[in-house]
Amino acid sequence: MRLSELVHQPGEWLRGTGADSDIVISTRIRLARNVADYPFVTRLKPDQQAELAQRLCECVVDEAVVPQCHYFDLTVASEIERRLLVERHLISKEHEDAQGPRGVAIQGSEAVSIMINEEDHLRIQVLHSGFELADTWRTTNALDSAIGERVPYAYSERLGFLTACPTNVGTGMRASVMLHLPALELAKQIEKVFHAVAKINLIVRGLYGEGTQASGNFFQISNQVTLGKAEEEVLQEIQGIIPEIVENERRARHFILGHNRQQLEDRVWRAYGMLLHARTISSSETIALLSNLRLGVHLGIIGQLDIPAVNQLFVQTLPAHLQVLEGRELDPQTRDVARATFIRRCLAQARHAGDS
Amino acid sequence: MSQIACQCGKKVATIHVTEIVNGEKRELHLCEECAKKKKLIFPAANAVIDLNEVLSGIIQAAGETESDELQKTTCPDCGISFGEFRSGGRFGCPNDYEAFRKGVDPLLERIHGTTQHRGKQASARAAAGQDGRLAQLRAELRKAVADEAYERAARIRDQIYALKKEKGNAPV
Repeated sequence: MRLSELVHQPGEWLRGTGADSDIVISTRIRLARNVADYPFVTRLKPDQQAELAQRLCECVVDEAVVPQCHYFDLTVASEIERRLLVERHLISKEHEDAQGPRGVAIQGSEAVSIMINEEDHLRIQVLHSGFELADTWRTTNALDSAIGERVPYAYSERLGFLTACPTNVGTGMRASVMLHLPALELAKQIEKVFHAVAKINLIVRGLYGEGTQASGNFFQISNQVTLGKAEEEVLQEIQGIIPEIVENERRARHFILGHNRQQLEDRVWRAYGMLLHARTISSSETIALLSNLRLGVHLGIIGQLDIPAVNQLFVQTLPAHLQVLEGRELDPQTRDVARATFIRRCLAQARHAGDS
Repeated sequence: MSQIACQCGKKVATIHVTEIVNGEKRELHLCEECAKKKKLIFPAANAVIDLNEVLSGIIQAAGETESDELQKTTCPDCGISFGEFRSGGRFGCPNDYEAFRKGVDPLLERIHGTTQHRGKQASARAAAGQDGRLAQLRAELRKAVADEAYERAARIRDQIYALKKEKGNAPV
């Protein structure tokens, strides 16, 4: 499999299936792990780092550990290919920009990705569509145990799994649920959600994780504490608050439909109109408009499109995806024109499919 | 809307800046690339909170009350000092948690509210590697260094190296 082939796949978190998938986009769990008796990545000598990457790659890319797995060496991947992986949530920005021998092992369906030599030697990530914490944890836990049988992890009885950054020590687990909350944001209720979340020590972040803006009304809710609480306890806390937020978003959607239907319909149809006819469009405008379109499709305001088609547009219109799809590098202005053309073509196709 | 060319003369300006210096108005028209060069577009302009920055803040603030002695404590395994950890926010190797325990434990208290792990345990193989003979030797090494018994320290260091080599998976 070549990296550029990924653009044609729907990608696990864009399937639009799973529990509460009208509001919960995806569930992700990642574990930070290091190999005992090696320094952490920043202190590895180049030859050590290469040797460790090789060793971990051999361990992970094995049918018994991760079935149908492909390994991508990031030192040979192009800039656009690395960006593509970030856009698909398969690697972190840090991993994209880092230097030295490193890579990522990706399962065919993209549900599993294992970063090698990121901040920690291993970052095991499982990503499922919809609100699926229990399933996601089951997969992550099994993967981690399988790898832990093959390589000795840096671990202490007292502090648990030892990580390069003290914010991850203990379980090394970060569980995040990505939510689409357009109605709560419209109703100016989003702050309340943040306060409720902060009260139980969870944090809210943007679409692309740490330090990113919450664009297109997408929010990620994840745990902060990794030491002193067992994985199941942390997952329970997240499991407890998400249905409340989902319920509030549904209530806000119905309230707006009941009291402000025309304004909401206007907003949705305007977004659709812009996407159908724009001749040049930026990535951030696209995300904002698609967010409204997605809301409209879920509320039945627009009947001729389906959610997978809208979800697919979210990722395929991002800069690296667009360039791979176009088969060439594009400067920002040409890219905006190409993006508008691409959206028009996709929506026309999706519309015909919906009509027939 | 008519298009204005960028100063570079190659592209259409998409960034328009109005500067008022000493009451005098000046307009700049730039393409994205030129604006980046002039540092008018910040890569992190839309960042809400950079968790890493917040964290280094905590790590650095925690260090303000620490003694010089603690700052200069170095890890026998990876060689970084506690001071280096504090300024970078990242450990050099797993042993740093023990080597800098005096400084790290209060930090963990601040971040997580505890210094005791609960949850999944590593398989016996990893546990043996970390908590067995090697950990014991490291503790002895730390004590020897603290006692300024350098000959003893050197002997222990050699034992650690030999043990790592024996396990066949470690850099020496």
